[in-house]
Amino acid sequence: MTNWLSSAAQRGEAIHDWLAPRRQASLRLLQESQWPTRKTEAWKYVPINVWERAELSTAVASNIEAEPIEGLNSFDIVIRDGQLQADTLAAAWPEGLQVLPLASAEAARLDWAQATFAQVKPERHLFGLVNDVLATDGLIIDVADGARIERPLRIVNIVNGGSEAHARVLVRVGSGAKVSIVEHYVGNQLSQSTGFAEYSIGTDAELEHYRFALQSGEAMHIGGSHFDLAERATLTSNLVAFGSRLSRVDMDINHKGEGAKALLNAIYLLDGKELFDLHSNIEHAVANGTSEENVRGIVADNSRAVFNGRIHIHRHAQKTLAELNNRNLLLSDRAEINTKPELEIYADDVRCAHGATVAEIDKKAMYYLQSRGIEREQAQIMLNFGFINELVDDMPNAVLAEWLRPQLRQRFAAMEVK
Amino acid sequence: MTEQIDRALQREYSAGFVSNIESETFAPGLDEDVIRRISAMKNEPEWMLEWRLKAYRGWLEMEEPTWAHVHYPKINYQDISYYSAPKSMKDKPKSLDEVDPELLATYEKLGIPLLEQQMLAGVAVDAVFDSVSVVTTFREKLAEAGVIFCPISEAIEKYPELVKQYLGSVVPQRDNYFAALNCAVFTDGSFVYIPKGTRCPMELSTYFRINEQNTGQFERTLIIAEEGSYVSYLEGCTAPQRDENQLHAAVVELVALDGAEIKYSTVQNWYPGDENGKGGIYNFVTKRGICHNDAKISWTQVETGSAVTWKYPSCILKGDNSIGEFYSVALTRGMQQADTGTKMIHLGKNTRSTIISKGISAGRSNNSYRGLVRMNSSATGARNYTQCDSLLIGDQCGAHTFPYVESRNPSAIVEHEATTSKVSDEQMFLCQQRGLDPEKAVSMIVNGFCKEVFKELPMEFAVEAGKLLEISLEGSVG
Repeated sequence: MTNWLSSAAQRGEAIHDWLAPRRQASLRLLQESQWPTRKTEAWKYVPINVWERAELSTAVASNIEAEPIEGLNSFDIVIRDGQLQADTLAAAWPEGLQVLPLASAEAARLDWAQATFAQVKPERHLFGLVNDVLATDGLIIDVADGARIERPLRIVNIVNGGSEAHARVLVRVGSGAKVSIVEHYVGNQLSQSTGFAEYSIGTDAELEHYRFALQSGEAMHIGGSHFDLAERATLTSNLVAFGSRLSRVDMDINHKGEGAKALLNAIYLLDGKELFDLHSNIEHAVANGTSEENVRGIVADNSRAVFNGRIHIHRHAQKTLAELNNRNLLLSDRAEINTKPELEIYADDVRCAHGATVAEIDKKAMYYLQSRGIEREQAQIMLNFGFINELVDDMPNAVLAEWLRPQLRQRFAAMEVK
Repeated sequence: MTEQIDRALQREYSAGFVSNIESETFAPGLDEDVIRRISAMKNEPEWMLEWRLKAYRGWLEMEEPTWAHVHYPKINYQDISYYSAPKSMKDKPKSLDEVDPELLATYEKLGIPLLEQQMLAGVAVDAVFDSVSVVTTFREKLAEAGVIFCPISEAIEKYPELVKQYLGSVVPQRDNYFAALNCAVFTDGSFVYIPKGTRCPMELSTYFRINEQNTGQFERTLIIAEEGSYVSYLEGCTAPQRDENQLHAAVVELVALDGAEIKYSTVQNWYPGDENGKGGIYNFVTKRGICHNDAKISWTQVETGSAVTWKYPSCILKGDNSIGEFYSVALTRGMQQADTGTKMIHLGKNTRSTIISKGISAGRSNNSYRGLVRMNSSATGARNYTQCDSLLIGDQCGAHTFPYVESRNPSAIVEHEATTSKVSDEQMFLCQQRGLDPEKAVSMIVNGFCKEVFKELPMEFAVEAGKLLEISLEGSVG
């Protein structure tokens, strides 16, 4: 155990809130954990030592404000440096929706929250354990059975320079309920944060989910969104990530009830010296599940992307349909992509496939555009857009897609094709 | 259907017998003395002993790898005897007539045509019975062409410069746990040298056979193809039935110099253990080749045997325009476990690699593809295409794919595809409707599934491989 880990465990021991009994198991696992090395499969391509070595200076005043997204009409809830900003909670919520600070007396009375905490997220994730042990604040969202919540909930997680922050989100989507939740992470100065969200999606329920991992610069973030799907539940999840000094997201989808459907679309766009690591894991524990995962990445300059996408079909998960594809564009000879799609299959009557490609921008397409009088830079932006556009277009919420486009354009304009 | 599967699972291993040849065998155990004795038995020069000891000392510091998707009881390396030679080898036979008739009968039972059949087939055989090469035919014909094909112990004696230059140049002494062990204790294997611009006049072939109880086999193969030369090498093996697990940690090194081509084909049919997974061979093999400019190495393997397989024939594409290929059929049934695949390391410009892997799982077996494609920043214009298909027969088995893709060059193109499916009811229905019984139908479908790999095998091997698959699949209709 390194200093950082043992300090985290020590700080965790001192926490005695309503979740303390639930944190015990994680604390024990954390105490037994080793700091990852190059030989640790889950951290193989990530120089995790930058986390350990980071020296956080005293917190600087925030320069990031949570701007509303025009036209989205969302409930915006702000978590700043791991602390829920209570004044951003609405005075009144629509019928069937309950939103509580994690650190509240009412939250402590919710049996389902007790039962869900640290149960959806797999225990193998080291920083998930850190979050289990240290996240004392965050958000609890409960959507009652049958409730259809029209307005999206947007959780803006801001981490300022110099801070270490751990926040947790617990969500229950009741049977037949429907809700749209946006996890929006920002921060651009040297900081360390973990942000984990656990979702329990009930029978016939629908969750539209977004995770915008838009930390940049020196902001180090490790987090994950984890989903349990009951019978016939539907999940549509969209991840958009920019890299930072260290950024890692884990997405876990667990098919616990038969006939559930999951779609995960992910985009990562890296430039400069950025690093982004996406680990996804889809567990088909029961029969008749469907999952589709599309991951596209563009990696420029000196940046590095890691993708590890696992599909695990258990013995009794017959009639599963599972597909995963990962396509990457490598724009520079100093950039690097490490991708590993994995299939682990123990049932025979299933249809599974995965694919991965790595290539550069199509030179012929570039030539074609330039020969039609389009500037090289413009042509490059067009081709980059073309590569990921499908996934942006597929976002169920058109307002969010529109909001993203100028940001993506800005990223592409900064990227240089060698 | 279950009955049929049961029947298939209980099928006797047709090569399972132990021939009674007296052997000179070391007592179990491994230390520096054992290595010194092996080296002394082989009349090895001092540098060779030093080389072995260096490997052994490295091995002592290493840990047995646990990352593969296989499970087996811990191996006690002190329980293994590291040397065994058929006794009749004491005074080496001058010709085939002098060879122990029982030895020849063993090959006969296995259907290895050592004499006339081989001559007709034009195949020179360096047959390895346990640890000592027993007989090598066609030596003269090869000598005419300048080709050296001999046991590696003989090469160490006769061609020390070549061995010194290339041994360990592709798989170094401390490469991995099992390779290090092999470096320390290897007793025999084949050495092939093809001179510049020579096309080897015949296909070279080694049959491996594990016989002595409790003996690990540590074969070492080194093939050097000089500039512009060509060789096709066949490796096949089968082992008698026994209860105790046997460790096989072979190392194969291929060196393809500028413009050379090496084609290495394997049919592996070692004893897989009984229906409860008892017995069977542990096959932990390191195979790697290095390609210089414009060179080509092609690995083709049909893996149907062994209780546990850990094997990743790889290519280091060092030279510009070099080519690496890997074609594999791995079939597991009963309690077999296979973790096999390849590594393609692209260093040179315009290097190309193709990986076609077909995994078939039946019974309660687990079959994994594990591969790595790495495009280094120097691999401008490199290209890889990978296709991994898995077929599941029955609902108690597993099929897994773990491909690693690492790219650092934007002009390199990597494509990886994997699919998993079962023999579909529609396919079965169609075949049966046309009068095929279910067994024939499965065999036909599986053969079709593996066609892309079989067509890469030399003809006689392709026939053998097809037959092997058919026998292995008998009754496994689900």
